[in-house]
Amino acid sequence: MRDELELLRAADPAPAGAGRWRDRPLDATAEHALTRLLHGARTRRARRRLVLRAEAAVLALVAVLAFTLTGAGSGRAAAAPAALVPQAGTTAPSLDALARIAGARAAAAGPDDGPRRGSHLQSWSLAAPAGPDAAPPVTVPEERITRWNADGSGSELVVATDPRHPGRPVIQDDGGRWRTVGDGKVLHRAAYPAGYGTRHGGLAARTAPPTDPRALRTLLTSLYGAAGGGADGAGDGGDGVPQLLLALSSYRQEWTPGPRETAAIVRLLADTRGLRPAGAVTDRLGRRGLAFVHDGPDGAADTTRQMVVLDPRTGTLLGTEITFTRDVPDFRITAGQVLSYEAWLP
Amino acid sequence: MSTDDAFAAAYRAHYWAVSRFVARRLDAPAHEVEEVVADVFAIAWRRRAELPDAPLPWLYGVARNCLANVVRGKGRYRRLLHRLTHHEAAHGRQTVTGPDAERPGSWVLEALDRLSPADQEVLRLAAWEELTVEELAVALDCGRSAAAMRLHRARRRLRAEIDRTRTAVSVPGGGDGHA
Repeated sequence: MRDELELLRAADPAPAGAGRWRDRPLDATAEHALTRLLHGARTRRARRRLVLRAEAAVLALVAVLAFTLTGAGSGRAAAAPAALVPQAGTTAPSLDALARIAGARAAAAGPDDGPRRGSHLQSWSLAAPAGPDAAPPVTVPEERITRWNADGSGSELVVATDPRHPGRPVIQDDGGRWRTVGDGKVLHRAAYPAGYGTRHGGLAARTAPPTDPRALRTLLTSLYGAAGGGADGAGDGGDGVPQLLLALSSYRQEWTPGPRETAAIVRLLADTRGLRPAGAVTDRLGRRGLAFVHDGPDGAADTTRQMVVLDPRTGTLLGTEITFTRDVPDFRITAGQVLSYEAWLP
Repeated sequence: MSTDDAFAAAYRAHYWAVSRFVARRLDAPAHEVEEVVADVFAIAWRRRAELPDAPLPWLYGVARNCLANVVRGKGRYRRLLHRLTHHEAAHGRQTVTGPDAERPGSWVLEALDRLSPADQEVLRLAAWEELTVEELAVALDCGRSAAAMRLHRARRRLRAEIDRTRTAVSVPGGGDGHA
């Protein structure tokens, strides 16, 4: 007969190796929460904290919103970005056309063309630390670069960007040597010894990124809870787009895709219902992209619009943005305000 | 390493372990679990000067107190006590129906649920958080010998509940096999 602790262990409702709470590198929500703790020490504890509750994909992002009921005088976040405005045009290629472009590029890719474990991104999410004696709310985009090597060693650098100089990367990846530029403030820097990534990486880190869109959808569903639906997107009616984009973001944090993986991503998006072309856009790092937008339901609150930006030449995922589509008076949010954005670098 | 650096290292190393700790004990959707985890680390941040070299059991101790406050504050203490049986259903997990099946599933959780809250907690910490006796003592804020004794007694009582379940299943209705 099995030992009683062994029996109980086998019935663990939240195992370390699988599911929503499995071991893996921190996700964006956890990273933002840590940043707030480390750099919000000057602010007093808020009298109350409210977390805006939506559903589905918005939930994970909403978790990083440390909205507070503030005293008089606290204004809106100083560095809150304006929403990207796509320029609608008739010449912009469709997602399907982009998928073909990405597919052609994948076919010409060589054996050394990725993927690479690790990522480099600039991100921002709405947050407003406040309280009776709080300093004026400041919201700072953050840039994070993570790289892992074949022997499991790795390194990580997190830099707060300077809100007075938006639109510039603050980490320069110079052939693996990272230099901070501009006025970025280093929030976190770590080097991990050989074997660390192997021991501490989750399933996502150990699973090679698929080059097949169906396999990618399966992976995103199993690892990150993306909406299931058929491999061709049929059956979800677009309702799963927010979850899919959130899953894609989590996946992208683990891996920097090469041309083959990029082709799978674009084909996956092209086969997913609910994303419409919105036109050309210049992202926050000054890059030209094509925006595709999901205006459909995001859950019970149904208050947000999801945007994904792709490189028109390669199909590479450049970034995502979520904006509010309705006023949320309880949180002093107005329609059009940005909830979060991510801009991915190569 | 500064106190802040030590906290950041502990956060990065143990964020998911603390999330699992909370998820196992809170019958709630993921966003509520994340809220509680954020509160746990906010409290840990304020108390970061106390952070020990091996921070995980200490974080579990913070999480236990935080979780109790949250659950009481929301008037869900009863749901916490009965969390385990609900948890399987809430998460859509497959469970087996008898003690001889390969995966113990719900019947073990039901056996656990029949124990006192104190017994349940020490067993969860030992089985799911895989704490040693020394670590149990930190998480439960008691001495090593007291932790060892609590675990020993709780294991014995769980074994008895499991045996009772097996007996009930193997002799259904008390009369089969005598036709």
